[in-house]
Amino acid sequence: MRSLISFRPALAALTLITLLISWTNAEYFGMEILAEIAVLALLAMSLDLLAGYTGLVSLGHAALFGCGAYSFAVFTAIWGWPASLSMAAATLLTGLVSLVVGAVVTRVQGIFFIMITLAIGEMGYELVFKTRALGGDDGLAGIPRLDLSAIGVDLNDPGIFALTLILLVAVVYLLLLRLLGSPYGAVLTGLHDNAGRMRALGLPVQLYQTSIFAFSGALAGFAGTLSAQHTMFIAPQLLHWTTSGEVLVIAILGGLGTLVGPIIGAALITLLRHELSDLTDYWGLWLGLFLILVVMGGKNGVVGWLEAGWRFVARRGAQSKSTARRSNDAAG
Amino acid sequence: MLRAERIFKSFGALQVTKDVSLEVPTGRRHAIIGPNGAGKTTLFNLLAGELLPDEGRILIGEQDVTRFAPDRRARRGLSRSFQKNNLFLSGTVRDNLVLADIVAQGYGFHFWRRLSDNRSAQEKTAAIAEQIGLAELLDHGVSELSYGAQRQLEVGLALMAAPKVLLLDEPTSGMSPEETGRMLQLIDDLPRDLAVLLIEHDMDLVFSHADRITVLNYGEILMEGTPQEVRGSDIVQETYLGGKTAQEQC
Ligand SMILES: Nc1ncnc2c1ncn2[C@@H]1O[C@H](COP(=O)(O)OP(=O)(O)OP(=O)(O)O)[C@@H](O)[C@H]1O
Ligand SMILES: [Mg+2]
Repeated sequence: MRSLISFRPALAALTLITLLISWTNAEYFGMEILAEIAVLALLAMSLDLLAGYTGLVSLGHAALFGCGAYSFAVFTAIWGWPASLSMAAATLLTGLVSLVVGAVVTRVQGIFFIMITLAIGEMGYELVFKTRALGGDDGLAGIPRLDLSAIGVDLNDPGIFALTLILLVAVVYLLLLRLLGSPYGAVLTGLHDNAGRMRALGLPVQLYQTSIFAFSGALAGFAGTLSAQHTMFIAPQLLHWTTSGEVLVIAILGGLGTLVGPIIGAALITLLRHELSDLTDYWGLWLGLFLILVVMGGKNGVVGWLEAGWRFVARRGAQSKSTARRSNDAAG
Repeated sequence: MLRAERIFKSFGALQVTKDVSLEVPTGRRHAIIGPNGAGKTTLFNLLAGELLPDEGRILIGEQDVTRFAPDRRARRGLSRSFQKNNLFLSGTVRDNLVLADIVAQGYGFHFWRRLSDNRSAQEKTAAIAEQIGLAELLDHGVSELSYGAQRQLEVGLALMAAPKVLLLDEPTSGMSPEETGRMLQLIDDLPRDLAVLLIEHDMDLVFSHADRITVLNYGEILMEGTPQEVRGSDIVQETYLGGKTAQEQC
């Protein structure tokens, strides 16, 4: 049990190291991929809080991601606010939007929750798609990146930008790990496990569900501001429900409710998409097959498989150690 | 402490609670008996707020809680255990009890403090685990526990809140004789500043551990009285004790 508890942070450290090593070897295109992975990892971690830990599967998460990206774009490219202020304001605004949306959607459960988040997300998509001031289906261009030249960091350099995002993923991972180890984190898993009993024990269930919806949404919005800075151009597709679906696939592939799973899932999906689409026109087919293989067998995504493997190795190790001891005893 | 006044409840055409009134003052050990389907659990669901009565009032202390949701009633000091185990199956016994402490003490919004640092929760958890006889199993997964041990935890969750009113729905059902004995001892030992309402099938247990008994039949109160009065009553002998043997035969 204990070895499993420390297994996930170790896996997270390994993932981070792998990302850093790829960074040292990456050319321009590699940097772009690494930045993409980092943004998706942040977004998928935010969804994991909601879907994996609290059991609220949302198909409208991309709309909150898009809300962060679009408000950042409007604040900077149209209103001319500094990027730092815009990041904070866009994150806060998305958090507020999520608070309102969360208060509504948490009135229903299960499949209805999925449907209502999908519907609200699509309303957001339509709104952006049809609004000329937001560029409509042409999207918005000319989005600047955060200016950190004061501390000698040039985020317009693709390598520096990618590295900053990777480090940001590590920081957010650690903060969320702390959050999940708190009483609040325990309440989230309790809600997933048995919301009815939580209510019977005296928990105002909807209040807590709304709070995590708002927090998760704010984090998605934050990831959105980074996505906008990465591509410097955004289009309504960012809010589309298929984007929500993709993020959910990332979290499920990596392992729901594991926090490190979404990071691994983001890396795998991004890599597979780029590598496979070079090799074959049918990359979607191969990706689908891969997904089926990982999810079959009832394991919780890649992290679930790795944990099962780790347990197997640990048990074999323990067995061979005890046989060694027994033969020692026999000899002595 | 807990009062129900003229409660009615129907599911469609089926009337499950008919004009039920109850008063459970602090310190009372009040049992509800009645054959299967008499509406005992439904009455608990009405008292705890899982169901809304069609008519009637429910009060905790002096406060009318008829329209309160279950969590709000729980925060007023009402705690319950369920007839069907209703636990957090993915966690350990400790996780379950700590969760109940977080909710009862209301520190669920502490998002930065480490849960493992909380000494008072750990102490309380250990004390309740001792009380329900699960001290040795604190770090065992709940889904691996025996049915009887899960029943004990079911009551443990209800006790964590240090309630003023405790509703126990057949706490000994499915338990071994030993486990049943321990559970009854636990109920006898509960602090006297607590009102206990207990649903129990075993008549002998009810007669020896309750100081007041309500007999329900088809949603109606057949009679209410002391164990002696109920034991001596002709209607109860006929309809309930007779009904019980008929049930045992089939
Ligand atoms: N939600 C519901 N909808 C419709 N009918 C219900 C519902 N809950 C209970 N009933 C019916 O109400 C009646 C009383 O059920 P209840 O569970 O209260 O009985 P009980 O006295 O607790 O029985 P037992 O001793 O078997 O636990 C039963 O006929 C049951 O089928
Ligand atoms: Mg019942």
